[in-house]
Amino acid sequence: MRFWPKEPFWQGVAVLVMAFLLIVFGIPYLPPLLGIPSAPIPNSVVVQYMLTALVGVLLWVSDNQTRWQQFKQPFHAVMVEERKKPIRMILLVLLPALIGFIAYGRVKPSLDAPPSFRAIHPAPPSSITFQGRTIEITGLENPLRTRGSLDDHYEEGKSIYYENCLACHGDLLDGLGHYSHGFNPTPLSFQDVGTIAQLAESFVFWRIAKGGVGLPNEGGPWNSAMPAWEEFLTEDEIWAVTIFLYEQAGKTPRTWEEHAEGGEH
Amino acid sequence: MGTRALVMAAYLLLPLPLAAQETDNENPAGKVVYDRWCAGCHGTDGRGEGPGALTMLPRPRDFTRALYQVRTTGSGELPTDDDIMHVINVGMPGTAMPGWEDLLSSQEREDLVTYLKSMSRFFNSSPPPAQLEFSNAPRVSDDRIAEGAEIYEQVECSKCHGRSGRADGPSAPTQKDDSDLPIYPANLTQNWRFNGGGTVEDIYRVLRTGLDGTPMPTFSDLIDAGVITDDQLWNLAHYVRSLSPEESPRIREVITAANVGDGEGGLPTSPTDERWETVDKFYIPLVGQIVVKPRWFNPRVQNLWVQALHDSADVAMLVSWSDPSRSPNEEWAPFAQQIVEAMGPKDEGSTWAPGAPDQLVVQFPLTLPTGMERPYFLQGDARRPAYLWSWRSDHDRAVEMVARGLGTGQEQPASSQQVSAEAAWADGEWRVLFRRSLATPDSTSDLQMPRATVVPVAFQAWDGNNGEAGNQAAVSTWYFLALEEPVPVTVLITPLAAFLLTAVLGLVVVTRAQRREKEIPGRN
Repeated sequence: MRFWPKEPFWQGVAVLVMAFLLIVFGIPYLPPLLGIPSAPIPNSVVVQYMLTALVGVLLWVSDNQTRWQQFKQPFHAVMVEERKKPIRMILLVLLPALIGFIAYGRVKPSLDAPPSFRAIHPAPPSSITFQGRTIEITGLENPLRTRGSLDDHYEEGKSIYYENCLACHGDLLDGLGHYSHGFNPTPLSFQDVGTIAQLAESFVFWRIAKGGVGLPNEGGPWNSAMPAWEEFLTEDEIWAVTIFLYEQAGKTPRTWEEHAEGGEH
Repeated sequence: MGTRALVMAAYLLLPLPLAAQETDNENPAGKVVYDRWCAGCHGTDGRGEGPGALTMLPRPRDFTRALYQVRTTGSGELPTDDDIMHVINVGMPGTAMPGWEDLLSSQEREDLVTYLKSMSRFFNSSPPPAQLEFSNAPRVSDDRIAEGAEIYEQVECSKCHGRSGRADGPSAPTQKDDSDLPIYPANLTQNWRFNGGGTVEDIYRVLRTGLDGTPMPTFSDLIDAGVITDDQLWNLAHYVRSLSPEESPRIREVITAANVGDGEGGLPTSPTDERWETVDKFYIPLVGQIVVKPRWFNPRVQNLWVQALHDSADVAMLVSWSDPSRSPNEEWAPFAQQIVEAMGPKDEGSTWAPGAPDQLVVQFPLTLPTGMERPYFLQGDARRPAYLWSWRSDHDRAVEMVARGLGTGQEQPASSQQVSAEAAWADGEWRVLFRRSLATPDSTSDLQMPRATVVPVAFQAWDGNNGEAGNQAAVSTWYFLALEEPVPVTVLITPLAAFLLTAVLGLVVVTRAQRREKEIPGRN
C-alpha cells in the first residue's frame, strides 16, 4: 500500500478513479467469462454508477469529524493559501468555462437523424393469408418435424438459405453477410439469444413469409428490408429453412406450451 | 509457370494413387466442419458449386483444382498451410467469404485445412511449397509514390486497372477467370475491398505472387529478369496504396449540406468545380436489389460518395461513383451479355438489352414524414409514395418522378420539371450534380425542403455495361440529408450566462473564505 494516499481527499479521488476504471474497462470483461458477447457500458449507466460511488465516498469522509476536517482541508487551502493562487485562478476560469461549454452543447441546434425505435418481436397475428390460403399461426408447429427425415429437411433448408438468405444474414448466421452493411436496420443475427432462440417456429414462419412489408402497423415504424418470402418460397420450403436456422445456430425453438407459461413477449 | 506447374500437369495424367484416396477418408473431423459451414457455397465435393454459388461472381473457390488466390508462394505454386489458414481466419474482403476465427475453434480450422488439401491430389504429389522471401516495406515517401506511378505505367497495370486505378483500362472488358466467367480488375481506389487485404504489405505480396485463377499475374519474374528491382516493386505497392483513402470510409447516417450563403460565388454549378474538393464527402455503400423479382446479386456500383450544399434558394447535390465505362458502350456489350448469362440462372427475368444506360436515382419521400415512418426504401409504396430525381446517361438529364413501388416511377410533365442535372464521366468515374430549388410551385408532386430540416434520402444506381436494367440495380436504404443553417448568435446567450453565473459564484465563495481566514486564521 505504499502508493495509497494518506489524506482523505486523495483517498476519495483514488476510489473514484478506480471505480471509473473498473466500470468502464473491467465490467465488459465479465460477460465473456459466461460465454456471452461483451459490449461497452452505456454512458448513462457509467454516470449512475459513478454517482453511487461518489455518494459512498462522501458518506465515508463525513463519517467522523476529524476525517471530515482533513477531507475539507485541500478545498480550503486552494481557496485561501497564497502559494495555491495559480491553481485557484485556473479553477476559477476552467470550471465556469466547462459549465458554459456543457450549456452550449445542450442548446446548440443540431440536425440528427430521427430516432428509430425497433420492437424486435411484434405480437404475431392469430392467422395469416399465405399465397391465398389461410394459415392459423396460434398453436402451429413445424409440420416437417413429424414428417420425413429431419436430415433431408435440414439439407433442403440449407440450400434455400444459401440461395436466398446468405447475402444478408451471413455464413455464420450472425446478420453480418456481405450485403449487411448496405441495410439500416441491419439484418438480424440468429446467433443472438434474443432472436429465434426465444421464439416459436410459427413466429419465424410468419416473419419469413411476410417480411418487412408485412409487419403489423402497431409498434412501427419498421423500415425493414426483409423480403416477403411467400413470393419466392413454398410453405414447406419456409419450414425447411426454419429447421436449418435452428440447427445451424444451435438453438431450440420455443414450443406453444412454453409460450403459454411464459406469457406474451 | 515453373517446373512445379509442369509436374502438376504431368501428374494429372497419372492414375490416382491409393494413398490419396485413403487420406480423403482419414479426416472425418475436417469433413464435418466443411460440410456444415463451407459446403453451402463451395459444394460438398469442393468444386465451388454449392447452392450459394450462383449468387456470386467470381464463383466460390474450386478446391479440387488447388488454385488459390491469396498465397505467399510463387505463381502457379500451391499455398502453404498458413496461407489457407490465413484466408479461413480473416476471410476475403469484398467477397462473400467471411472470417471464421471467432466461430470455429483452432482445432476445427486446422482440421479444415487438412480436409481442403485432401480435395486435390496436388497436395499429396508435390513437396511442401516454399514461401517466397519478402523484403520489409520501405517507408513511404512522395518520391517513392511518384516512382511507383511510373512503374504502374511501365509494367502496364493501367491496361486493366486504368490510369486512375478505377478498373477502366482498355483490356478490362475482356477479362475472364479460370472458369471462363467475366471478371473485373480490382478498383484500386477502394483498398478496403481488396480480396487479399488492403495494406501496402498485402499489395506487395499480391504483386509478388499474383492471384492464381484470375488474370492478375506475378511480377516476381520481372524482378528475376532485372526489368525492375524489388525496391521499385515496393514503390509500385506504395503508389497503389496511395490511390485509396488513408482510412477506410465510415458510414454516416446524416449527410450534411452546409449553407454557403448568398454572397459571391454561390453554389457550384459544375460537377467538376474545384470547390467540391473542400466539401465533406459522405460514403454510401450500395448492395444488390434482392427484395423484388427479378433480383440482382452482382451490382457493379458498390458505393457512392455524396456531397451537398445549399443557399437560401437552392440545394446542390454532387453524387460521384466509380464506373469503368460510360454506358452504352459497344466494347462492353459482350461483357454485359456474359454477366447476364452468368447471373441469369439465379433470377430470371432480366430486362437488359444492349444499349442500356447508366442510371442514378436520388430518392426522397414525397412529403416530409411527420413521425418516424418513411416510404418503403425501394421507391415507396401505395400509401407513402417516393419522389425521385432520375438521371440517365443516354438522355444526359434528370427528371422528377413520383413512384409507388420499385419501377413504378411516373415522369412529371415537362411543365413541372424542377430538377436540373449536369454529369461528367472521366477516368472511370461519374460525377452527377443535381440542383433544385428548396421550395417549388408543385407542392403536391415535389417534396418541399424547408431549411434547417432533415430529409430522408436513398439511392439506386445502374451500370448498363454490367447487364443492369429495370429492377436489377444497386440500392441503399434510407439516409438523411440535413440542410444546415449557421448557428445564430442568440444561441450563445445561455452558455455565456451559465459561464458568468458560475464565475461570479466562484469568486464570492473564494472571497468569503479568504475574509473569514483573515478574521480567524487556521479555522477550517
